[in-house]
Amino acid sequence: MLELGPILSALSRNRVAAILVMLQIAITLAVVANAAFIIEQRLEKMSRPTGIDSDNVFFVQSYGFAPGYDALAVIRSDLDEIRALPGVVAASALSSIPLSGGGSQSTYQITPGEDAPTVEGNYFEIDEYGIEALGVPLVAGRNFRADEVQTDQGVTSKFVPAVIVTRDFARDLFGDEPAVGRQVYDGLGQAATVVGVIENMQGSWVNATRLTSVLLHPRLPTPPIARYVVRAQPGQRDALIAEVEHLLASNRDRVVTWVRPHDWFLDRSYKPDLRMVVFLGVLIVWMLLLTGLGVVGLASFLVRVRTRQIGTRRAVGATRGAILRYFLVENWLLTTAGAVLGILLAFAFGHWLSNEYALPRLAPHYVALGVLALWILGQLAVLVPARRAAAISPAIATRTV
Amino acid sequence: MFAYYLRLGLASLRRTPMITVLTIAAIALGIGVCTTTLTVYHLMSSNPIEHRNEVLYAVTMDGWDPDQPWHSDRPHLPPPELTYRDAQALLESDISDRRVAMRKTTVAVEPAEARTDVAPFLIEVRLTTGDFFAMFDTPFEYGSGWDAAADAEANRVVVLSEETNEKAFGGIDSVGRTIRLDGRDYEVVGVLKDWNPTPKFYDLNNGPFDESEEIYMPFALGETQEMQPAGNVNCWKNEQIDSFRQFLDSECIWIQFWVELGSPAKVERFQAFLDAYVGEQKKLGRFPRPLNNRLDRVSDWLDINEVVQDDNRVLVGLSFMFLAVCLLNMIGLLLAKFLGAAPIVSLRRALGASRSAIVKQHLVEVGLIGVAGGIAGLVIAGFGLAALERLYSQYEHLTRLDVAMLGVGLVIAVATGMLAGLYPIWRVSRVQPAVYLKTQ
Repeated sequence: MLELGPILSALSRNRVAAILVMLQIAITLAVVANAAFIIEQRLEKMSRPTGIDSDNVFFVQSYGFAPGYDALAVIRSDLDEIRALPGVVAASALSSIPLSGGGSQSTYQITPGEDAPTVEGNYFEIDEYGIEALGVPLVAGRNFRADEVQTDQGVTSKFVPAVIVTRDFARDLFGDEPAVGRQVYDGLGQAATVVGVIENMQGSWVNATRLTSVLLHPRLPTPPIARYVVRAQPGQRDALIAEVEHLLASNRDRVVTWVRPHDWFLDRSYKPDLRMVVFLGVLIVWMLLLTGLGVVGLASFLVRVRTRQIGTRRAVGATRGAILRYFLVENWLLTTAGAVLGILLAFAFGHWLSNEYALPRLAPHYVALGVLALWILGQLAVLVPARRAAAISPAIATRTV
Repeated sequence: MFAYYLRLGLASLRRTPMITVLTIAAIALGIGVCTTTLTVYHLMSSNPIEHRNEVLYAVTMDGWDPDQPWHSDRPHLPPPELTYRDAQALLESDISDRRVAMRKTTVAVEPAEARTDVAPFLIEVRLTTGDFFAMFDTPFEYGSGWDAAADAEANRVVVLSEETNEKAFGGIDSVGRTIRLDGRDYEVVGVLKDWNPTPKFYDLNNGPFDESEEIYMPFALGETQEMQPAGNVNCWKNEQIDSFRQFLDSECIWIQFWVELGSPAKVERFQAFLDAYVGEQKKLGRFPRPLNNRLDRVSDWLDINEVVQDDNRVLVGLSFMFLAVCLLNMIGLLLAKFLGAAPIVSLRRALGASRSAIVKQHLVEVGLIGVAGGIAGLVIAGFGLAALERLYSQYEHLTRLDVAMLGVGLVIAVATGMLAGLYPIWRVSRVQPAVYLKTQ
């Protein structure tokens, strides 16, 4: 027996208290559904594959300052020495670090000329060991040859003779046509041949819209700053970081600014997203707790107020189970009513968030999960007061005091 | 009477300890969360140079690509930096009280020969004209900045930050001493006190909450010594750039420019000057986009550059929704508590207390809860911000609870308490004494 009628009429005698809990449930649903959705978005964003061997690579920055500093000679000798270390898979010069927040971007065209449509690409300058050092497998074409690596020092507009591109960049520029062998033009009409295509590589800026539209240029860095990428055998990375730092420190004509694993840059770039995840997580937990407490409070209040009625019902034959069921059903009704309002609020809030802050639209299954969570929470919360109610002695009905 | 209400309130709170604790906890949680997010928001959106907001202006000019604006979603805004040529041209006008052109670079510091324990280290340099220090009100520990002559002659002089002076000279008065940067000797003319405006309003391009640069030197040195740019460089035009000179003459934007204009008349004159200058340049084929020169105050500049991230706004909004749930919880608790004390209230009414006396007494009680909850909430916020520090690892100065936020937290707490108490107090004041005096 669901006793909906009596439940509803009893609730209406304590309208305000019931409405208060319903509102709490509604707001909690709206917040929890949207917060959980945002958390999932961010976690997904943070788990995107970098495309390079992030677990095993580390990066070096060197700044040459002494007068008459021969940057090319130092770079070559540095890399030779690093490559000779046991445990090093490969090492290369590298202009900037993926997902570090710093890098270079340019526009590229299929045909030369001012009016040709352009595509943006995030580019990294490497040498002939670059793709092995980064750990980006080729899916078409070949690596750079040593003679293709440009060594011009100083400001220059010279393009490179060859480029390696990611699949996504190739798709942006060439559509579904194969890219290897095609010409790519810079803004000054200079051409480079696409010699290879790599599967995937993320660029410099974590919030970029076309994060994986990346190119590799064969070029050594221009002084004063030189950066290297070193790929270690699995498990050797941290030991090698210390070794490389020690090795390079012997040259006092330059400052080895840092030697860092990719994790350092990834953590820093994703900090804002991690913050959001933690904050929203804490908020969800506290909000559910608070609403749960509200339910407990209301139920306790109702039990107290109805002590005589419950005693009377027990005296005329209601079982303990019936009393328990009464409160569980009442709570379920309340939660459902609150959830109905909450669903509207959740979608309205989600709609506003996605417009105002360019977030994706709230996925409905988060709202459904929220409703489920609140049902379970409500039933659990009402259990203790309900059991207390069920334990009320029928003798109360006959007492006048 | 107030002392009497206070005693009554305290007694009432003691009578139902569980509910009292829960009510205080409800406010405390809500205030804790709100104060945490509000503190970060407040620090992020603060104007560190409020006292000079009326006279400082960021100068921007739209010489960007005719085919697309700098901001695709806000096409009325010019790019945030100027070309080198334009900055040099603007430096020549004396309409503004002061003016500054600047950009970043890096150098290696070689500590004095005596300090062999410190290896050479890399630091960020701000190349700037001399008015920087007066315009942005930088505090000096020793010495001062440099004058216009030093700018004109590109003298090798530097102003050090407190930290750099510590690292290179051990913190002594190093004015007059020599510091070796990138293999060249510079004379120290000034040392700043600890100065890290939050946000770094004068250059928001790389990190609005980054620390200030560690060394300052005359802008012209960047040209004479061909010092590499370390900030954002953006170029829209396909130009042949094969030398540093060609880079300086190009349409690439990478220079930050600010002016100090002490009166509305000067603002008008400077705006007219900017427009006339761009008009001239247009005749030379430059500035293909429609005329759009802006002078933006610091407060507006911070808005334009969207220093406060959307995430922060969303978090503040969600905290207030959390506070709303706390408020609803409190109303329920207070209702239960006050109506539970109905017999006592009835007794007092029977003894002659007026309705307003009942209301006042309960307001005091609710106020007590508000204050207690507020204090507890601020403690929670303190812990929350301390925990947040790890998540704001580079930006410790964003998680500091200052006096203003303490005040705001308490005010919100008491206000929330009062708001929550309104309906319960109204209900209890309408209690019919006879009903409760009858039942035992």
